[in-house]
Parts: sequence; C-alpha cells; structure tokens
Amino acid sequence: MASRTPLSALALVSPVQLMVGGIIFLPAIYVFWLSLNQSSFGQAASFVGLANYAKVLGDPYFWRALINTVIVVAIVVHVELLLGLLMALFFASGVPCRALLLAIVLAPYAVSEVSAVVMWRYLFEPDVGMMSQALAWFGLPPIEWAVKPSHGLFMVSLLSIWLHLPFSFIIIYAARLSVPDELYEAGAIDGATGWTAFRRITLPLLMPALLIAALFRYIFAFRLFSEVWLMTGGGPARTTEVMAVYLYLEAFRYNSFGAAAATGWLLVLASLLLALFYLRSLYREMFRKHA
Amino acid sequence: MRRRSLPVAILKGFGVLVIAAWSILPIALIVMSSFKSDRDIFSLTSRFSFTPTLANYELLWSRWGDFFHGLWNSFLVTSGATVLAVAVSLLAGFAYSRHASRGLQASAFFLIFIRLIPPIVITLPLFPVVNWLGLNDTHFILIVLYATFFVSLGTIVMRTFIDQIPRELDEAAMIDGASQFQIIRRVIFPLAAQGMLAVSVFVIVYAWNEFLFAFIFTTTKAKTAPLVVAEMIGAVEGVEWGVLFAASAVQLLPVLAFVILMQKHLVAGLTAGAVKG
Repeated sequence: MASRTPLSALALVSPVQLMVGGIIFLPAIYVFWLSLNQSSFGQAASFVGLANYAKVLGDPYFWRALINTVIVVAIVVHVELLLGLLMALFFASGVPCRALLLAIVLAPYAVSEVSAVVMWRYLFEPDVGMMSQALAWFGLPPIEWAVKPSHGLFMVSLLSIWLHLPFSFIIIYAARLSVPDELYEAGAIDGATGWTAFRRITLPLLMPALLIAALFRYIFAFRLFSEVWLMTGGGPARTTEVMAVYLYLEAFRYNSFGAAAATGWLLVLASLLLALFYLRSLYREMFRKHA
Repeated sequence: MRRRSLPVAILKGFGVLVIAAWSILPIALIVMSSFKSDRDIFSLTSRFSFTPTLANYELLWSRWGDFFHGLWNSFLVTSGATVLAVAVSLLAGFAYSRHASRGLQASAFFLIFIRLIPPIVITLPLFPVVNWLGLNDTHFILIVLYATFFVSLGTIVMRTFIDQIPRELDEAAMIDGASQFQIIRRVIFPLAAQGMLAVSVFVIVYAWNEFLFAFIFTTTKAKTAPLVVAEMIGAVEGVEWGVLFAASAVQLLPVLAFVILMQKHLVAGLTAGAVKG
C-alpha cells in the first residue's frame, strides 16, 4: 500500500476532518484551558491552575450528580443488554409476524426524548395514570417521581431503557443472525442443547457484539441530559442531577464557566477511560492491517 | 428440529404481546388520547372507547402557532443537516475505501476517537463564539452542529457500503479519463444509494428529535419543535394534556412512519456503524 496520502484523498476527507476538528476537537481542547481559568461571561479569564477542579471535587452536588449518573448508567446499560439479548434469542427462535414485530420493536428509536417524557409522565401520573392505577391494583405504592429522588431516577432509567433498547437489540440480534445454524446442529449431536448450547455456542459468539453494544451505551448513557432535564429538571432540591445537568447548571445558570469546564473535562476523561481498551484494540487492528 | 407444542406456542404468543405492548403502547396511548376530550383523558371508563374529537388539534392550531413554526424550523434544520452530512460522508467514505496510507489511517482513527467527546462539553466554548459571530438562533448553527456530530458515523457507514462496490468499476472509469469527482458522481453515487439512505435515517431521526443544542443555541427564530413541546410540558402541568398529546403526536408521527419505512436501511446502518467502530 502507498504510504503517502494522495492529494485527491486529502481533498475528499478534508470537509469531514475540518468539521469534527473545528467544531468538536478544538473546542474540547479549549475546554481544558477554560478549566484552568477563572472566567464567566464578558469577563477576562485569569489563570487559576487546578482551583476549578478542587472546587468541583469539593462540591457535594457534583458528587451527588456523579453517583446518580453511575447508578443510572449501570441500571440502564445492563438492563438494556439483558433485555436486548433475551429479545434477540426470542426473535431467533422464530416468532409469528417477524417483520411486523421488528417494526414495532424499532418504533421507540424514532421517538424524541421530549415525546417520551410526555408518554411516561402520562402513564405514571399520580392516581390517574394507567401505570399508577396498575400499581395500585397490585397493592404497590405509586411512583412519586416529582417528590422522591430515587423514584425520579427510576423514571429516568425506565425512559432511557425504553428509548435505547432498539439500538442494543439490533446490534445483538444482527450478531445472533450471523451465527451459522450448523454450529447448533453440530452441538446437538454432541448433546449440547438448551442452556449448554447457549453457554458454549451462543454467548461466546455474541460476546463481541455485547461488548460493542455495552461500550457505546456506556458512553452515550454517560452524557444523559434531556431525559433528566425534562423529567425532573434535576430536582427536587438538586437531588436527581446527573453530570451533564450539573455542567449545564454551573455554566448557564450559576455562570461558573471554570467549574463547568472542569466538569466537562472530567466527562471527557471518563469517556476516554471507558473506551480505552476499545481504542487500543482498534488502533492495533487499524495499523497492523495497513501499516 | 423444532417441536411445536401448544404450551410453547402460548408462551411465544405471550412474549410477542409483552414485547409489542412495551414498544408501542406508550406511543399508541398518546396518539389515541390526542383525540380525546379533556373529560376522557384520565377517565377509566373511556380508556379505549370514547368519542373522538379534533378539539385538541384545533386548540393547538389556534393557541400554539409557535409549535407549527417550530415544526417548519425542524424541517429546515433536518433537511439541511441531512444533505450536508450525507454529502461530506460520501466523499470521505470514498477516500477511506479506495486509498490507504498511514496518514489516512490516523485520520480515520481520529474520527472514531472524536465520538467519545460529549456534545454538552463543547457547548461551553461554542456558546460565546456563536454569539459573537451572530449565529445564535439561526438554522445554520443547528445544521452545522447536527451534521458534524454524525459525519464520523456517516463516514464509517459510507466506507463500509462503498467497500462493497467493485474497484474495477472506478478503474474502468479512470481509464476513460474520469476524475475523482466524476467517479464519485457517476459510479459511486448511484451504487451507494443504500448507504446514503442508512446515513440519512440516522441524521434525520437525530436532527428532528434533538433537544440539547436546540435548547442552548436557539431562542425564538430557529426554535425547533421538540423545544416547543418541552415548553408545553412546563406550561401545562397536568392541566392541558390534550394539547400536549396533539403536539407530541404531530412531532412524532412523521419520523415514526419514516423509520418504519426505512427499517431495513436503519438496521443495515446500525450494524455497519457498530461493527466497524
């Protein structure tokens, strides 16, 4: 392979590279510089070193937001993967009206966070919502998402799972479809059926897809903003904030750009850390093949 | 191999029902309730049987002109972002598919790496710059932002699809004296339609529904539909559910129909994008 980049190829990739470089990468680097400075709107920045990080890390609201984020991400991603896996296996075992059911399963992918909030708030509206009444019928306490922080986070998790399950499901289902039937036939001859076949054939072969789905969902769930903002607004009394909401409030409500920038940079670091192994293996694969 | 016994069939039927209810019931409920009178919305007896009315839609039309303006803005922004993202992804996807060098590999890696940066982080430095440039509350800024956040996935998807187009075709065109751009226009463009559709599905769904950037960068002129619906949630607080349902239904149904229509391309794009990075 040629080791020099042809000029025409350079021209072809430059629009994409300029867009992500100029609008995502450079601003992200600039956020790092911002995080080392004291600044707010219309005010010259002054260098303060790591003071913003110290401020953020000493802020109990930050820790609350971080813990909330970790809890929600852990619930959302793992429940999603489990449900996605179950649904993929269910589909693979043969279902009636497969095409129609697939379209139905994909439907939430098209729904905006805003509309999803409208739907789930309607379902869980105290006393009168369909789910509230169902809970009451079973003798269960209602979900008081506007009052109790844990209930608010539960609603946010439920909403996120509902919105993003189609993504996890499709990734896993596509991987399941590419497992050849012969493997199961060969396994059956050796006496591997049911649970054994799942553990020895299905699960190992689906592992790469499960890891990819998990990675993407970890990264995207970590930036969760709209669902929380529209469902609870971070309240009551800042108890249901997540990282992105904390960042938004610091920057645009409390005018504390330095603290917001420090939070932002911590968010970036967390994403990089989550993806480190993936990036490393990707890097090796890309440069082994073509170098 | 497959034994079809009655209990299994019943269990399967039950599974199908649960999956369908989980996925579609919340959507169906608000669409249905948008045709209910205020009296029927939370009434137990008229949950599924009620006299349909267009009152909510009339109210939406007369009182929330803002919403229809928002829909128009959403339409403009979505179209602009889609055209831009698909066009630049096609060019870059072609380059990555047909050329290889260390520099190009590094830039492809950069594209994947960039997806790790959360959108909210870059609003901090962009907000003052956008204001200073006078781009605040314009369609342009949303178009550029939405397209930018999807060009890396778009490029990866386009590259996967273009990889499947035989190189002999562009070589033949090259012998006939076609330039790179002519090859893209005459050979790749018609054959990569599937990939471009897959990329458009992503961008359209994202741009039509996006909340964060619209919330931060628009106020009145370029305000998109999800933003107006969010305002209605804040404004109605349990009183005017009907209008809210009507607005949600109008915001939701076009893109839902589109996704169902484009199901095959969505699945192809999701798998191409996820497997390759």
